[in-house]
Amino acid sequence: MKGVIFNVLEDAVVAEHGPDSWADLLDAAGLDGIYSSLGSYPDAELLAIVDRAAATLDQPVPQVLRWFGRKAIPLLAERYPRLFEQHRSARSFVTSVNDIIHPEVRKLYAGAACPHFHFHELDDGRLAMAYRSQRQLCHLAQGFVEGSGDHFAETVAVEHISCVHHGEPVCRLALDWAA
Amino acid sequence: MKHTPIPVPAETDDRQLVARLRRLLEQERRARRDAEAIAERGLRELYESQVRLALLQRITDYANHSDDFSAVLHTALEEICTHMGWDFGNAIRIDERGRFANACDTWYASDPQRLFTFIEASRSLTLALGEGLSGRVLRDLHPHWIDDIANESWFCRREEAVGAKLVSACAFPIMLGDEIVAVIEFFSSKSMVDKDNILLTVAQAGTQVARVIERERARDALLHDALHDAMTGLPNRVLLDERCRIAFERLPAGRQGLAIMVIDLDGFKAINDKYGHHAGDALLIDVTGRFETAIGAFLAANPGCGHATLARVGGDEFVVLLDSLLDAEAPALLAAMLHEALRAPTVVDKDQFSAGASIGIAHSGLVYTDVEQIRRDADLAMYEAKAEGSGRTVTFTDALGSEARNRMALEREMREAIRDRQFVLFYQPIFSLGGERVLRGYEALIRWNHPTRGLLDPGAFIEAAEQSGLIVFIGDWVLRQACSALARLHARLPRHDPPFISINIAPQQFLQPNFAQQVQRVLIETGVPPECLRLEVTEGVAIIDSERTRQVLEEIREWGVLTSLDDFGTGYSSLSYLQNLPFDTLKIDRSFIASMDEPKSRNIIRAILDLAGNLNLSVVAEGIESHEQGAALVEMGCQFGQGFHLGLPLDETSAFALIDGRRAA
Repeated sequence: MKGVIFNVLEDAVVAEHGPDSWADLLDAAGLDGIYSSLGSYPDAELLAIVDRAAATLDQPVPQVLRWFGRKAIPLLAERYPRLFEQHRSARSFVTSVNDIIHPEVRKLYAGAACPHFHFHELDDGRLAMAYRSQRQLCHLAQGFVEGSGDHFAETVAVEHISCVHHGEPVCRLALDWAA
Repeated sequence: MKHTPIPVPAETDDRQLVARLRRLLEQERRARRDAEAIAERGLRELYESQVRLALLQRITDYANHSDDFSAVLHTALEEICTHMGWDFGNAIRIDERGRFANACDTWYASDPQRLFTFIEASRSLTLALGEGLSGRVLRDLHPHWIDDIANESWFCRREEAVGAKLVSACAFPIMLGDEIVAVIEFFSSKSMVDKDNILLTVAQAGTQVARVIERERARDALLHDALHDAMTGLPNRVLLDERCRIAFERLPAGRQGLAIMVIDLDGFKAINDKYGHHAGDALLIDVTGRFETAIGAFLAANPGCGHATLARVGGDEFVVLLDSLLDAEAPALLAAMLHEALRAPTVVDKDQFSAGASIGIAHSGLVYTDVEQIRRDADLAMYEAKAEGSGRTVTFTDALGSEARNRMALEREMREAIRDRQFVLFYQPIFSLGGERVLRGYEALIRWNHPTRGLLDPGAFIEAAEQSGLIVFIGDWVLRQACSALARLHARLPRHDPPFISINIAPQQFLQPNFAQQVQRVLIETGVPPECLRLEVTEGVAIIDSERTRQVLEEIREWGVLTSLDDFGTGYSSLSYLQNLPFDTLKIDRSFIASMDEPKSRNIIRAILDLAGNLNLSVVAEGIESHEQGAALVEMGCQFGQGFHLGLPLDETSAFALIDGRRAA
C-alpha cells in the first residue's frame, strides 16, 4: 500500500477525532507509523490501523473503510488537483480510474499495484463496477465512489451486489447516478 | 565547539512547551509534505520523459528501418494514440504545391468498430487550404486544437465525431524544412489537457516521420538522376533499355506492336564545334521540347498508337520507343512530324541554327529474340537515312539488313586485309603523247588480293572502305607503298628526268587534319623528290570543304608536289574550283575518251584542253584504248595519256621494267 494512503488516513482521522487520535491508533496497533508518500508499506499495517479504529469506535471494519474512502476524496483532491480538474462529473471521474488515475498514480510511484475496475451497464441503467482484489478493499472503493459524488456535488447510490466477503468471485458495485 | 545558546524565556511552563513542540511538529510535517511533493513532481517528470523517449525511440527505430512512408506514419499514429490514450489518429498528405490536404487511408483507431462512421469520413478526406482542422494547419503551419468538438461548427466531421463520442482533437504539421509535407490529426473521447507535453511528444515524432520523406525524396532524386539525362531531363539509355526490355517482354505471341525509332541530329557536331557547347546545349534542349510537343500531339491525334518514350542516348542521338502500337504506319507518320518539328530554326543569342534529323525505324516481329536486335536494326536504318542526306526516314527491311550485313562482312574482311597485307599496288604508265611517246610516270592503282575471290579492282571495295572510314588506313598505306616503290625505281635510274608517281587520294584521307604532314613525312622517309609525286583528288574534296582543300593543296605544292584534278568533266566540273584551287594537271575522265567518236565528246575534250591551256594546266587523258583515240588526242594537243592501248596496269616489277625499255629506246 502506498504511503500516501496512510497519510490521507492520518489526516482523516485527525480531522475527525483530534490531533492525538492517530498516535493512539498507532500505539494500539503496535506500529512505528513512519509513512512517507513516496514509500510503500505492508497492507497489513493499514488493515491493523483500521481494525483498531473499528474496535475503538465499536463499528464494523467495512463501515470504517467506507468512511475513510469518502473522507479521503477531498483530501486527495487537495493533494492532486490535476486528477480532478479534468472531470466535470463524478461518473467521468470514477470511470477514468483505470485509464487516467491509475496511470497517473504509476507516474508518481513506480511499481504501484493499482486494482483494475471493470465497468459495464446494467439492464436497469445503473453502472456496474466490478473489482477483483487480493486486498478485498471493496468497501474502501465504495467510499471513494461516494466521496467522488460529494466532490462533484452529486448523489450516488451505491449497492454492493456481490462481494468476495460473501464467497462470491468478484465484488460488484451498482452505481446509480440518477438517485 | 562552543554553542552560544539562544536565550529562551525563563518562565516556560509545560503548556507553553507542548504548544511549542506541536508547532515544531507541524513544521516538520509540512517540510516533509513539501519534500514529498517536490520528489513526486520530479518522479512524475522523469517518468513522463522516459515514456516519451521510449515512444520516440520506437518511432525513430521504425522510421530508420523503413522506407515506406505510409507504414511509418501508421506506426507513429498507433504509438502516439496508445501513448496518449487517444481513440483515433489520421494522416493527411499535402499535395506538392501545398494547396490541398488529402487523407491517404493511413489511420489508427483503438476501436475501429465504434469509430466506423468517423473513420469512413476521415480516411479519404480532401480539404482545401484553411478548410476544417487539417486545412487550418496547412494554412497556418502550426498545431490546432479542438477542446470540445460539439461546439465547433466549422469542423467538417463534427456530426460523425460527436456520433463516435469524440470530444477533443488536435492536428500537427509535419515539416520538412519550411515545407509542410503532411498533417497528423488525433481525436479523443477525453479532454486533451497536458498540451505542452502533447506538443513536445508529437512534434518530435513528426520530425522522425519527416525524415522518411526526406530519405524518400533523396532516393527518388538519385534514382531520377541515374535514369535521366541531366540536360534535357529525358530518360537516358539505362531507363530506355529497361522500358524497351519490359515492352518487348509484354509483346503478344506474334511479337507485333513495338517500334524503335533512332533519331540522329544532322550537323549538330558542326554547330557545337563552331558556336560552342552553349549553343549545342541550347539546341538540344530546344529540339527536346519540339520532339516532346510533336509526340504529344501525335499521340493525341492517334489514340491507337499506344505509348511513346522519348530518350536521349548520346550527344545528338535520341530514341523513341513506341509500344502498344496498333498501326504499323504510325512510326513513319510520327517521323514525318518530327522532321516537320525541326523545320523552323532554333535561335540562340541571335544566331539561328537548323538541325535536320536522320531517322531510322525498326518494327518488332518474330525474327527478333530480344529488343537489342530491333535497336540495332533501327540504328542501321538511321545510318542508311543519314547516307541519303539530311531529313530522311528509313524503315528497316530485310533487304536493307542483308545489304548491311554484306557491307559489314566486307568491312570485316577489309580489316583483315589491312592486317594481313592483302592489298597490292599496280602501276599504269603515263606517257607524253606529242611527238615521241615517252613514259613519264605511273599512276598507282590499288588491287585487293582477296584470299577467296582473287584479285579485286577498287570498284569492288573502295565505296565500302569510304563508308567505313577504312579508306584512311588504306590510303596511307598506298601513299607510303607507292613512294617506297618509286624510290626503289629511282635508285636504279640515272638522276636525269626521273619518272613520277601519281596517287589517288580519297576525300576523307585528304581532309584528315594531318594529311599534309603525312605527305611530308612520307617524302622525307622514302627520299622521293617532291616534284616526282602527284596527288590526284576529285571534286568531292572541294565540295566537302573547298577552303580547307585550297589550304592543303597550297601547302603541299609549296614543297614542289604536283596536284591533279581527277575525273574532270564528270560531276559538277565547277569552274570556280579550277579558278580557286591550285592544280597543276587536269585528268580528262575516261568516259569522254571512250565516246570520242561522238562529236559532242570531242567538243567537250577540246573545250577542256582549251580551258586547261588558258589556265596553264597540263592535261592527262585517261582510258586510251585504241590507236585512233591516241592519235586524235595528239591532234587536239593533249600532252599526256594513259590507257590499255598505251600500257596496262602491271605489278611493280613488270611496270617498272617498262622504263628500261624507254631507256633502251
